[in-house]
Amino acid sequence: MSNRQFCGSMEHFVSRRGFIGSAAGLSIGSFLGQKTVAEEIKKQGKSVIMLWLAGGASQLETWDPKPGAVTGGPFRSIQTSTPGIQISELMPKMAARLKDTCIIRSLNTKNADHGSGAQLMMRGRRDDAALKFPDLGSVIARELGKPDSPVPDYVSFYLQTEGRNFAGSGFLGARYGPMELSKEAMPENVSRLDQISLEDFHDRQALRDLWSKNFSMGRNSGVLASHEQAYLRVNGLMDSKKLFDVTKESQKTRDKYGPTQFAEQVLIARRLAEAGVPFVRVGRAWWDSHGQNFETHQELVPELDHVMATLLDDLAERGMLKNTMVITLSEFGRTPSINASLGRDHFASAWSCSISGCGVVGGSVYGKTDAKGDKVAEGEIGAARLFATIYKALGINPQKNYYVGSRPVPLTDPGTEPVKEVLA
Amino acid sequence: MNYSKIKVQKNISRPDIVFDLVAIPGTSRVLLASSDFNIHDLDISQQKAESKTLSGHASYVTTLALGKDVLASGSYDGKIIFWNISKNEKIKSLDAHQKWIRKITLSPDGKLLASVADDMVLRLWSFSEGKLIREMKGEHTPLTPHHFQSMLYACTFNSDGSLVASADKTGHVVVWETKSGKKVASVEAPIMYTWDPSARRHSIGGPRSLAFSPDSKYLAVGGTGKIGNIDHLEANARIEVFEWQKQEKSKEFIIDKHKGLVEFLEFHPDGNILLGAGGAGEGFICFVDLKENKVAHQEKAQMNVHGVFTQNKMTSILAGGHHRVMEFQFEV
Repeated sequence: MSNRQFCGSMEHFVSRRGFIGSAAGLSIGSFLGQKTVAEEIKKQGKSVIMLWLAGGASQLETWDPKPGAVTGGPFRSIQTSTPGIQISELMPKMAARLKDTCIIRSLNTKNADHGSGAQLMMRGRRDDAALKFPDLGSVIARELGKPDSPVPDYVSFYLQTEGRNFAGSGFLGARYGPMELSKEAMPENVSRLDQISLEDFHDRQALRDLWSKNFSMGRNSGVLASHEQAYLRVNGLMDSKKLFDVTKESQKTRDKYGPTQFAEQVLIARRLAEAGVPFVRVGRAWWDSHGQNFETHQELVPELDHVMATLLDDLAERGMLKNTMVITLSEFGRTPSINASLGRDHFASAWSCSISGCGVVGGSVYGKTDAKGDKVAEGEIGAARLFATIYKALGINPQKNYYVGSRPVPLTDPGTEPVKEVLA
Repeated sequence: MNYSKIKVQKNISRPDIVFDLVAIPGTSRVLLASSDFNIHDLDISQQKAESKTLSGHASYVTTLALGKDVLASGSYDGKIIFWNISKNEKIKSLDAHQKWIRKITLSPDGKLLASVADDMVLRLWSFSEGKLIREMKGEHTPLTPHHFQSMLYACTFNSDGSLVASADKTGHVVVWETKSGKKVASVEAPIMYTWDPSARRHSIGGPRSLAFSPDSKYLAVGGTGKIGNIDHLEANARIEVFEWQKQEKSKEFIIDKHKGLVEFLEFHPDGNILLGAGGAGEGFICFVDLKENKVAHQEKAQMNVHGVFTQNKMTSILAGGHHRVMEFQFEV
């Protein structure tokens, strides 16, 4: 994998000015089209936490082991809590907790390039020449975010520098774009300025509220409402800073998740979901193990196993798991064949992901690969059906139309059916 | 040594990955540690070499040690199995380690077997009885400084078996006294371990081979250099030589024509030449001249070399690796 594929590009960081602009842009109207938002779904407070295994995690060392096959590698498989389902021995904690997780072993996404593969697996389809589609986070933000929510709708952690910048809100615009955290797990530029005391800050807010109220009196203007909403969202954003502060959690909880950067970000993701953020992606780079695949997965899979299992336990203990979906996904999987450097290369023909919690049949496997893992043997699906399944599990109609101008654009490609066997 | 006289004598393709190999003296039999979880008994004198299979492990067989009539094999399944090589029968199986066994090695007198594994323990066994004699632990920490599992890759005895050395992923190398099990000294080879904190946030590398000089003064450590893009083993292979009693690095050698890991090291009996082998996508064997203080010769192999067995003062070098077994010989 060449460095050139990922180096240099704009970094999204949230500024108050930018946030005001994008928030104001929302209700000024534009092209977003139909306002048939399912308020009922929003009221249910559903959230998605995506664990984005950037670079391409190996299905053979995670969800679809092939012990003893020439392609199987050195790891054994272990029995999960669901009779008949085995996963890699590197995931003993998830094996013991499979009851809330559905493994999909039959992805054939036909794109083994990091850049375009990541774009595909973040959007569920390829961009048109004339139209950039929103990624999953943006759609979830649009569908599950509440207009009056004081917290962000879409947060994306990606602190590693490799493999960034494949997310994006496409035609949905900046209002539904991610709050990108790429330097540290705390948002930048949302703190009260040091030279303004808290008392001054509150006085200014009160004065602005008074003037705004007086000015609005007797006026019925969408622009005014939008302006007011933008201020409310900024205030909410400034207040939500504490959600990103992992030290607000008890030491006991922090110890459960563990000391790694990924663990801390997943704990923050849980805090955000608990506060009502509909979509959080935690990027965990970098799984691109062309050399020393087994050593790399010995490092990364136990971390994933521990953190994911802790997250599911935590969500269950808080009564959140029913309404929170946890997804593990990459841009592709890895070749069954083992190269001369004891690595595995890019592979999109037969690989795996997982969906836990909200809306799916736990303790299950959908799809099957052949004995060596070279091909999908049963239940082949691509990115579109995966996304349709995710939407459906969240209660969102996968064929719902957005409108770009007068062009109807369904959430997933026309005719795409969700996988019924995955849905609870 | 006249390196221009080195020739490939045998070149045998294999369906598996060969991690280690030993030749049975006085025969053309070679035993291979295989990725198919078996040991293969190969007669390399045959034009189309076919192997007999010794089965018993449940993961990659990664390391072999040959005694007089007995072979010991170590595997990622944590077991050490002893085999009667006259009958190709299993003698005894030990649940030797909790995690992957990376290396076993026999003391020069054939009495002690040392094993290292990712449970970060060095164990000494009686080779004749397969009984645990002692274990050395506490020096190689289970986690890297970045909270990930460490690995204990290599071990070797010195020429009289009084010392045994071990090396972990982070480059921490410990010399132990065999008799007492106490640490005698330690040296560090941190360049061989790369932790990428920002771009990819995991690690690669680590020392993979060790060898004491015949006089036990020097300890050679084989691995790789600092790596930029840790998706690949893209740094040149690397050997560092320590005066371990002074805890000082005295020499370092870059295998500048080849990338990857040095997975095998052995001193020539005269103490002046160090043989290394390894690779990444491609492989090599190399000769380091310690008198001249240089890498004297680098020979490309048609495979990433994982294991080597030498005979007749290195005039015959058997190498096993990725889908291939090769024999190099110095032409007389």
